[in-house]
Amino acid sequence: MDIRKFLSKYGWPLLLAALAALPLVGLVGPGFSSHVLITILLTAAMAQAWNLIGGYGGQVSFGHSVFFGIGAYGAAFAVCVGKTTPWPGVIVGALLAAVTAVIVSYPCFKLKGHYFAIATFAVVEIFNRVFMIWDWVGGAVGLDYTILEDGWRNFTWSVDKRGYYLGALALFALVFTVTRVIERSRFGYYLRAVREGQETAESLGVNSTGVKLTAMALSAFLAALCGAFFAQYNFRVDPPMVMSLDMSMKFVLVAILGGIGTFWGPLLGALVLIPLQEYSRAYLAKLGSGVDLIIFGLIIILMMVYQPGGILGILTGTKARKARLRARLAAEGGAK
Amino acid sequence: MSAILQVEGVSMKFGALLANKDVSFDVEEGAIVGLIGPNGAGKTTLFNCVAGFYKPSAGSIRFRGEEIAGLPSYKVARKGLARTFQVVRPLKEMSVFENILVGAYLGHPDNKHAREVAEECLETCFLQDWRDWPAGDMTIGNKKRLEVARALATSPRMILLDEAVAGLTSTEVREMVEVIKRLKANGLTVLMVEHIMEAIMPIADKIVVLASGEKIAEGAPKDIVRDPKVITAYLGKKYAEAMDKGAGA
Repeated sequence: MDIRKFLSKYGWPLLLAALAALPLVGLVGPGFSSHVLITILLTAAMAQAWNLIGGYGGQVSFGHSVFFGIGAYGAAFAVCVGKTTPWPGVIVGALLAAVTAVIVSYPCFKLKGHYFAIATFAVVEIFNRVFMIWDWVGGAVGLDYTILEDGWRNFTWSVDKRGYYLGALALFALVFTVTRVIERSRFGYYLRAVREGQETAESLGVNSTGVKLTAMALSAFLAALCGAFFAQYNFRVDPPMVMSLDMSMKFVLVAILGGIGTFWGPLLGALVLIPLQEYSRAYLAKLGSGVDLIIFGLIIILMMVYQPGGILGILTGTKARKARLRARLAAEGGAK
Repeated sequence: MSAILQVEGVSMKFGALLANKDVSFDVEEGAIVGLIGPNGAGKTTLFNCVAGFYKPSAGSIRFRGEEIAGLPSYKVARKGLARTFQVVRPLKEMSVFENILVGAYLGHPDNKHAREVAEECLETCFLQDWRDWPAGDMTIGNKKRLEVARALATSPRMILLDEAVAGLTSTEVREMVEVIKRLKANGLTVLMVEHIMEAIMPIADKIVVLASGEKIAEGAPKDIVRDPKVITAYLGKKYAEAMDKGAGA
């Protein structure tokens, strides 16, 4: 079996097994590097959730921080207002995010391309303002967690980060596995067909609106789970923290940097961007705030100019070009 | 032969412009029917009404006895009426095989069967050498045959071809005509809009002629070429003479 086939078949389960083994060999603990690892897994899961509709479905949404925020508020509301464990809030939040996604996207899907993207910008602003003035969920102050007992029941760990690591890993595994299953299914092909040509897809019996709405609902559901994790990890939530264009950009840019519409792209994007962001924030803070964002922006600009296919495009681009050239030469040689 | 498609009194208005006026004709099951006419005659408009891309302003379109006028195109496709596009629309970033596979999923939701059907359609349309090629990177002849293969993969009862041979080289035209004959041999009904008379006249069972949005003639190809109205509106005298010579030789 050649290496490409082997990786395509076993690469994903092997990676998961390796990541699950990290805490066992003592590589995950209370330190800063564990925080970076957790953030990488969370960000990869967020970008992959976005990638379902933004990459595979081609509907570039800048509205994902809304779904992320609804998930975060779900968990925080259950803990801070409901005085219970976060779990019921996680489920309700994710379902609400999916329903919100359908209601908001239905009119937005009447728009195409850039106009769809612009409409989703507006959605973020609307939700941000509503949550700012909504006292029931803490208004502009947000919701602050009280001290809780450590463990899975409350999904909080005050010092050791192993629990969070495993939680992030479970989230990462869930989102990526869902993507892998969809990618190789009828629904996945329909989603890509809608991206490549909506009218063509419809002429082949595909209900494009139905396909897009389903993908958006699923994407929002998964983004909301990431949001819930984020609230639990930070012990608080407020509107600018979760429902902002900054947060929306993170979903989009990580996926674009890694390789939009690909399985490995979101992970590659997070692997490059997050260490850069976290370490530059930690070590270059004396240069002033926002250094990480400057580096972030620079990388994205360079990437868009030189390789719009992202990191995955760099890794596979040359090879694919060569293969294409070979095939073309062979075809011309074979032509009468 | 019973009619699989019945177009009755179809009119289509775009604002004040009347693109089709009271057009009626039948397409018999298993036949190849050609829709011809000069530019601007309303062929593509009528075609789009049948395929569910436009809702006709008046009239009815029945497919296998069911009214389909005004149904969205994906529902028309699900009823067994597939179409191709005049300006080819490959799903560019997907391979030729994946393009066809999307069509095949309509009748065969499970992966295994859909893949089998897609492989068959690949061969029927002479595309097996291009299986894993990106669909956006092919010659126009291949792209046109991909249009047909993709529509064929939906396992339709009838297929609508919108200028399937326009802009092709003579070799490519021959290949496409062969593909269309294969469709008929497989029991499919074909309605084709066409400008290339050499391609359509030898294979069509019936020709419907449109001019200025109205039907001006309908009948067997040999009668159509002698119809004075058709000669005046579309074919021109030279073509009729050439056909006569061809028939005499």
